[in-house]
Amino acid sequence: MSVRYVPVQWTRNKWVYDAVLVVCVAVYVLGFIWSGNPAADATRPVDGAIVRMRAWGSCAFLMLTLVLCIGPLARLDARFLPLLYNRRHFGVLTALVAFSHAAAVLGWYYAFSPTPAWEAVLTSAVGWDRLAGFPFEMLGVFALVILAALAATSHDFWLSFLTPPVWKALHLMIYPAYAAVVGHVALGYLQDVGNPAFPGVFVSGALAVAGLHLAAWRRGPAAPAAAWIPVPGWRAIPENRAAVVRVGPDERAAIFRIGGALSAVSHACAHQNGPLGEGRVIDGCITCPWHGFQYRPEDGCSPAPFTEKIPTYRLKLEGGEVFVHRDADPPGTYQAPLVLPAREAAA
Amino acid sequence: MTAEAWLLLGQVWVWIGLAVAAVLVLWGAGAAEENARGAWAFRLLLVPGAVLLWPLVALRLGARLRGEAPGLAAHRPPRRAQDGAALLLALFVPTALGTAMAIRQDGPRHAAAVLLEAPEGSGEASGEAGASE
Repeated sequence: MSVRYVPVQWTRNKWVYDAVLVVCVAVYVLGFIWSGNPAADATRPVDGAIVRMRAWGSCAFLMLTLVLCIGPLARLDARFLPLLYNRRHFGVLTALVAFSHAAAVLGWYYAFSPTPAWEAVLTSAVGWDRLAGFPFEMLGVFALVILAALAATSHDFWLSFLTPPVWKALHLMIYPAYAAVVGHVALGYLQDVGNPAFPGVFVSGALAVAGLHLAAWRRGPAAPAAAWIPVPGWRAIPENRAAVVRVGPDERAAIFRIGGALSAVSHACAHQNGPLGEGRVIDGCITCPWHGFQYRPEDGCSPAPFTEKIPTYRLKLEGGEVFVHRDADPPGTYQAPLVLPAREAAA
Repeated sequence: MTAEAWLLLGQVWVWIGLAVAAVLVLWGAGAAEENARGAWAFRLLLVPGAVLLWPLVALRLGARLRGEAPGLAAHRPPRRAQDGAALLLALFVPTALGTAMAIRQDGPRHAAAVLLEAPEGSGEASGEAGASE
């Protein structure tokens, strides 16, 4: 919540999450190197240095694939929500692993020439006009720059300073970065490898990212047309939970049922634009499933001493149906909860 | 552009970025963000982001210091852009994989070895080379 910034807001869960991540990365990289003949000298087709750069590179690809799968998985099935928690640390560690891959490449392929390493990378990038022989290294450089920018702007300060939509738009660059990584591997390693094991994992992972995003996109709510938009299935909203209604091209309202009444607030958390409507009401406050930011349902304000506010929406009951107005009220605007008839409130 | 020109451009970018980062860390962060006032330890983490994205940082710092508030726009995440990016990625991945497999050429170690006939006249040349060793 809104408190004085610290470098990292550690909690016990974050320690556990990060410890598991670091152990998994260490086990994977060391296991890959150990199983790949790390002592092979430069006379072998795959020597020890190449094994190490492949260990870091494949680890970075798998981590990036997992990071990108978590979002749509959590949208499709709430049981994956705990994976979403602390995903930023996952992303930062992925960038560090990718940098280790780049350092291993620079320290081998570009290390034995009087030409500075980065200058050698740029001057050797030829063949842009063909696919076979395309300078796939530059796709990796492009992805690395994006991963660096995203990791460097992962602190909460950037979210508030840039505003959530700008921050979110910046972090959408993860999609072109992943596309570049797919191209980097497909036009590089995949052109040369004989063992089908990693190509199988690579193709499966990349297709899983594509398929999950497609599935999550298809589940999105439909676009509205009128000023007052019906809330389908409002009778089935469980107590302390919400239904999400699309009220504009980029806007969604979360309609919560709390104690026999309905309240509508923005679906986007003020913190990271997390999906508030997928959260629940805890201690009388709507609680974001991503990082636990809380808001009062009637006015969208965080309880004191916190200062976050989200927009609220008007609700009305007409002809036995509930409608939400498509225009949001300014953040923190009080809206009296829509008290349901006794028959509906008990449902 | 040559490699040297790109590297020079990168160096200029980093030097300007460091100047913007110094302004942000020493003064701008506290001036623009209430939660940053009196908090110094975290500001070192801002340096890499400010160096990489200094034009955006300079623009936002100016807007924040002029008191421009994002209003309701702050609660409108770019969902259409995200949907579009996800769809493009979903289309790109299988296309890229299919193309990569289609252009793949089996290397020499995957094909059976073939004994080539020596080109005419090469016997003399190699004989001469051998004699000189």
